[in-house]
Amino acid sequence: MSEATRTAARLRRVDENLWEIPAAARPDMRVPARVFADRRLLDEIAGDRSLEQLQNVATLPGIRDAALAMPDIHQGYGFPVGGVAATEPPEGVVSPGGVGYDINCGVRLLALPLTAAELGARTEPLVHEISRRVPVGAGHGGALRLKGRALDEVLVQGPGALLAEHGIGTQADVEHTESAGCLAGAEPQMVSERARARGSDQLGTLGSGNHFLEVQRVAAILDPAAAEAFGLRADQVTVLIHSGSRGLGHQVCTDHVRRIDAVVGRYGITLPDRQLACAPLGSPEGRAYLGAMAAAANFAWANRATLAHRVREAITQVLGAAVAAGTRQVYDVAHNVAKMERHGGRELCVHRKGATRAFPPGSPDIPAFYRTAGQPVFIPGSMGTSSYVLAGRSGAMERSFGTTCHGAGRRMSRTGARREITGAELRRRLTAQGIVVRCPSNRGLAEEAPFAYKDVDHVVAVVERAGLAGRVAQLAPLGVVKG
Amino acid sequence: MTYAWVDHTAELELRINAPTEAGVFEDALRAFGELAGDEPAAEWVAFDVELEAPDRAALLVRWLDELVFRAETEDLVPEEVERLELGDGRLAATVRAARGAPRHLVKGVTYSGLAFEREDGGYRATVVLDV
Repeated sequence: MSEATRTAARLRRVDENLWEIPAAARPDMRVPARVFADRRLLDEIAGDRSLEQLQNVATLPGIRDAALAMPDIHQGYGFPVGGVAATEPPEGVVSPGGVGYDINCGVRLLALPLTAAELGARTEPLVHEISRRVPVGAGHGGALRLKGRALDEVLVQGPGALLAEHGIGTQADVEHTESAGCLAGAEPQMVSERARARGSDQLGTLGSGNHFLEVQRVAAILDPAAAEAFGLRADQVTVLIHSGSRGLGHQVCTDHVRRIDAVVGRYGITLPDRQLACAPLGSPEGRAYLGAMAAAANFAWANRATLAHRVREAITQVLGAAVAAGTRQVYDVAHNVAKMERHGGRELCVHRKGATRAFPPGSPDIPAFYRTAGQPVFIPGSMGTSSYVLAGRSGAMERSFGTTCHGAGRRMSRTGARREITGAELRRRLTAQGIVVRCPSNRGLAEEAPFAYKDVDHVVAVVERAGLAGRVAQLAPLGVVKG
Repeated sequence: MTYAWVDHTAELELRINAPTEAGVFEDALRAFGELAGDEPAAEWVAFDVELEAPDRAALLVRWLDELVFRAETEDLVPEEVERLELGDGRLAATVRAARGAPRHLVKGVTYSGLAFEREDGGYRATVVLDV
């Protein structure tokens, strides 16, 4: 019996969509490990070390209630992807590995003022024009290059600084962004010169791996009232942007994991995995990381704002200025971040790594115009499959620190995907499905094959049944740009 | 070649078996070069590296961190180690590299499951890269 199988055998059923490994399963666990999943997803989850990693998270000092995993959980490094941990000061810790290297990797949805039927044969020119304007794959190459004070302003203010100084985005875009695109407490001086060197010319670049930009159509409206609040209607064209803080955020994580790894022993912390390196929230190392992480998160929102600007330029070129002017930002959500939030009367540091905030209707932390519908959440599928627009539900506040899933979740390694299909063959199949593909790397394309991911329809159904988020609309791909 | 990329659900796991400690670092460089570079070199360059870390495993992370940084900021694909000196918690090296168009796939070099141990008269190392 493998370690993964032994760990899965410790799961006990709480209800049809929630499973738990009790804290007593291991002497170092401080709280239970809980997974939102049904039996079918559990079988896939048990195939890797993600549950063992979730138990490791349950050992963190100051963790409250439970270490949680969403149904798209899969093995990561330190934390599993799809993991959530809330820690409480003063003994509570912050762990850079609980956010990940791609700080504020997230998703932004734009809605165009036309239908897929109206877009028609202009789909391919639009996807092609977007691919010409958005650098992909390589680490740099964006047209916007910021250094010194100009970069500091982005690190402190996020996309608001680009709006004021560079005419990128709109005030409405900023307002339609989680945390208004600006995490408080950003400290640019905690962002190293190396991080600045990696990020200074990366605003407006997509990156590689699972990052993508997809032109879609609203294939189904599943909650008409929420869809109306979000401004979505049947057959409408949308653009989904998935990217993060690029090299700047990657280096912030690298720098602060190293710094905290060196002092873990000083705080009397023993960890089952070195990547869980953590420090008390109020410690100099913990505060330094939180300041740098907030700066990187703001950079990520600025990156997605710049990407959206490039998309609007492409829309202007192909569809005209009126369509670009009518292109609205529905919302922008983070799925790799740590935030101080109030839950159950406690001030907690909620780590979300591959998990999305999903605050319910009435939450004062979501914009007033979405307060009756709940916070928008975007769940990208994999190439060729649906993506979903969800809205946060009250169950999320009661059961998951206001959190839901972030995607389909990988189920197959990159090398495994390449063994199954070549990039050229996948490109042929997607084209046969009527999906326009622009990706410079056949290898990268094959690694992101749809079958390398869990069934997004099933993942979303679980979070809905668990009461974490409700389905609002289903989006179908028309074209994809990948690094 | 004494290194292998091992299946990992989302990331890349590198395992190295080498007869010497220096061999682990040399193989890590070759593995990263293979991962990053599949384009012809436009120019050959050499650069010096000096690193410190509390233990050999952390030094391996720092070594790969340095190669990731050079690839991303200077478009350098490492080819071979021209000089390598290992001391107590420190490394000094000269690396020969090709300037080209490396894949910028690696976000970070993690400490998850990190190992650098003596085994069967040689050394075994494991490191997971976030991609």
